Amino acid sequence: MDVKLPNLGEGADSGTVVSLFVKEGDRIEKDQPLMELENEKAVATIPSTASGVVAKIHVKSGDKISVGARIITVTESAGGSTSAAAPASAPREEKRPAAKPRAAQPVMELPEDDEPIEAAPVAESNGDVAASPSIRRMANDLGIDLTRIRGSARGGRIVLDDVKNYIQKLTRAAQAPKAAVGAPTAEKPAPEKIDFSKWGEISKKPMTSLRKIISRRMVENWNAIPHVTQFDDVDLTTILELRKKYLADYEKQGARLTVTSFVLKGVIAALKKHPIFNASIDEAAEEIVFKEYFHLGIAVDTEAGLIVPVIRDIDKKSLLQISKDLDELAKKARDRKVSPDELKGGTFTISNQGGIGGAHFTPIVNKPEVAILGLGKGAMKAVVRNKAIEARMMLPIGLSYDHRIIDGGEAARFTVDLLQALENFNEADVKNGLSA
Amino acid sequence: MEPIKTEIVVVGGGPGGYTAAFYAADLGKKVILIERDKRLGGVCLNRGCIPSKALLNAAHTISAARESAHRGIVFEAPKIDTNQLRAWKESIVAKLCGGIGMLAQKRNVHVIHGRAHFEGSNSLRVETEQGQQFVNYEHAIIATGSKPAMPKAFDLGNPRIMTSTEALETEDIPENLLIVGGGYIGMELGTVYATLGSKVVMVEALDSILLGADADLVRPVMAYAKKNFKEVRLKSKVLKMSTSGKQIKVESEFEGQKKEELYDRVLVAVGRVPNGDNLGLESTKVQKDEKGFIKVDSNQRTSDPSIYAIGDIAGGILLAHKAFREGRIAVDTIMGEIGTADKYVIPAVVFTDPELAWCGLTEAQAKAEGVDIEVAKFPWGASGRALTLDRPDGLTKLIICAKTERILGVGIVGVGAGELIAEGALAVEMGVTAKDLSLTVHPHPTLSETVMEAAEVFYGHATHTLSKKRAE
Ligand SMILES: Cc1cc2nc3c(=O)[nH]c(=O)nc-3n(C[C@H](O)[C@H](O)[C@H](O)COP(=O)(O)OP(=O)(O)OC[C@H]3O[C@@H](n4cnc5c(N)ncnc54)[C@H](O)[C@@H]3O)c2cc1C
Repeated sequence: MDVKLPNLGEGADSGTVVSLFVKEGDRIEKDQPLMELENEKAVATIPSTASGVVAKIHVKSGDKISVGARIITVTESAGGSTSAAAPASAPREEKRPAAKPRAAQPVMELPEDDEPIEAAPVAESNGDVAASPSIRRMANDLGIDLTRIRGSARGGRIVLDDVKNYIQKLTRAAQAPKAAVGAPTAEKPAPEKIDFSKWGEISKKPMTSLRKIISRRMVENWNAIPHVTQFDDVDLTTILELRKKYLADYEKQGARLTVTSFVLKGVIAALKKHPIFNASIDEAAEEIVFKEYFHLGIAVDTEAGLIVPVIRDIDKKSLLQISKDLDELAKKARDRKVSPDELKGGTFTISNQGGIGGAHFTPIVNKPEVAILGLGKGAMKAVVRNKAIEARMMLPIGLSYDHRIIDGGEAARFTVDLLQALENFNEADVKNGLSA
Repeated sequence: MEPIKTEIVVVGGGPGGYTAAFYAADLGKKVILIERDKRLGGVCLNRGCIPSKALLNAAHTISAARESAHRGIVFEAPKIDTNQLRAWKESIVAKLCGGIGMLAQKRNVHVIHGRAHFEGSNSLRVETEQGQQFVNYEHAIIATGSKPAMPKAFDLGNPRIMTSTEALETEDIPENLLIVGGGYIGMELGTVYATLGSKVVMVEALDSILLGADADLVRPVMAYAKKNFKEVRLKSKVLKMSTSGKQIKVESEFEGQKKEELYDRVLVAVGRVPNGDNLGLESTKVQKDEKGFIKVDSNQRTSDPSIYAIGDIAGGILLAHKAFREGRIAVDTIMGEIGTADKYVIPAVVFTDPELAWCGLTEAQAKAEGVDIEVAKFPWGASGRALTLDRPDGLTKLIICAKTERILGVGIVGVGAGELIAEGALAVEMGVTAKDLSLTVHPHPTLSETVMEAAEVFYGHATHTLSKKRAE
């Protein structure tokens, strides 16, 4: 039986094999991790869909594979061929559910024009493909890999028109390299080749696929969204006092109480009051989509690069739960175990650099969200209070927003309400989860 | 003598060799074809496919006459004139071989009769009756075929111990015939001799005859053999043979017991060995595998860039139509036509009674490889045509990909299975689905309907048989 790459959720239907956890001859159980796959946005662990003995491994690290690609072949027992006696109907039952998620997958999600070209190989070689001999011959002559074409005839059979379409697609892709990325830069000139070694020693490293994705998305977001960043400083005194007071209690419950958790909780009030910050633009329909849910993305700095896992329904969670979720997610992100689903559906993002240092910065909005809050490192500052200068712990914040739908006044009001919520953080909210 | 210069030289004038030579000539190449026999056509025409099928057909008349008794048509016992039979068979062979020779001439393929011997990667020598002839070539295609294997222990130099070559000569009809080997050659020739009147004992070392075919398809053939042969001994081994007057004394082992029997003739049909020796391949870069077959890639290239090998000498399935195809692939590759050769289906046919044919994936193979398949079968007892032919002992079966419903393999046992399998081969090559087969109108009443109805069985709505509803 073959274990194939399952559907990883919308948009993430291919990736690069980072590392393999099994080798031929290993005994594996269902759901046991097989390998790590670096895809669209993260590194995901791919579990086995079958148990048995690994008879053959079909991928190696560095391979780019797509949904449906064979990863390994497992046999029931070490003997291998003893499975020959298994009734033919049994494996089919197993296969069925695997096919379902594919049908449920929204077709519109494919983000790039050239995606279908790298669609899942349906077979290993042109000889295994459902196509007439004359078409296979033609493909071989032209050096076309039929395994990358989805046939339009019954049973996925490839007909002449499919090959023609594919060739046209290839031609288009070859003629317009990267033109699809970001409309305003459609006319982008070819990157200049610079020989840096002319001026001294250099070393080179290929961009990982995660890095390429980050870079592409940043360009897209930066180009598509007119950014404005609103700065301010939050007086952290109350929060730090509460933190000190309840730190141990939280620890007893297995949670780390951090400033980020307070901000996550505190920002909800402002978002509720200013729903435009929790909205998105439906560009096609020219509509603003308001969301009744509050899923907050947390930018996590990992070795491989930035990823933004999402904590769901923050508004419904206690500070304790949020702290726990935050901890777990950050750990998962660093262990490269975040599933693609955990990267989706965010409504607002928080990017905290406080652990590292630095003050105000201008975060880039994470499309299709419309705002992002950047936190710097809290520091003692001389603040004038009641006409006297006091040393207070101040947290620098920067709120970047999409100026297409959010006006400056709205942003200022949001910031005022956010400061209000954080500086007068409600002690009941800290205690809340603890008693339960 | 001055060496002759040519673009392509083909060594061996069997189905692989003449196909390659003709095709290359049709594409405008200067071609020399070398054949050591007096006639072109190789094993296939001279001592393989064609003579064996001629004899099988002749024998079929006898069994058909015999089987018609219960229909109220009774014939007298046949009189068999083996000289006349041989002459008829020979006339067919002569006609076909002559035809090949004529086609070679019309295409300006220069045929040299003699034994070829390679002298280097681009030159060879031919030993002809008129002396030596040297050829310098750009590309060579080796198509020297194979010959029957004759284990040393049986090779007594006694003409009563035959290979398929001698058996096809039908010198006489032995009263007691032992056939060693239950492969297709043994089964086909066993059918011929049993029908002509010999008491045939077949000995097979494995636990089944016709290795490679699915067990359910072999069953009717085995049933025929059990009825018409004196005995079929599976898991049995011939240990020793010796001459005993006009007979052969055979010692064998069967069911744990040693047997000693006398036979009038013995047919050894235990496989075939490649004609790769004495070809001078040492002076080229061509490499052979441990069994002596020439190693080739999927484009028929050998390890020597100017030399190709096709047909039986290149190993794999030893069938004439494989040789035909490989001849074309080799020439196409030389012409720069195909970068990578395609995988293709090679149907196998056993011309027993009933015939057994299959192509693509077998059920056993699918299970061994863990391919997710479903099997749909249509038994011929439900076919009107099979009943009018008085031959309900047939089965048509489809191996279907569970996910895409594509036809991955077809197996047929029954009269005329060899002709019917062509539709199966087309179906597998075209990547058609069971739906396609079920939606194609097949003429009634014919045996071809069984292919369509097997597809309908898959969907649970075959007209002429009751089948399980398919779970959607
Ligand atoms: C009894 C029998 C029945 C068969 N029935 C069928 C069947 O029904 N269907 C089917 O598809 N196949 C059948 N076959 C198999 C088929 O005959 C072979 O697969 C086919 O002939 C192989 O073709 P080839 O061109 O590779 O070689 P061959 O037909 O073996 O031809 C090789 C030729 O090369 C010549 N040669 C060899 N060495 C030299 C040399 N040094 N110089 C010059 N010439 C040389 C030989 O004389 C021979 O003529 C049967 C075989 C046998 C024995």
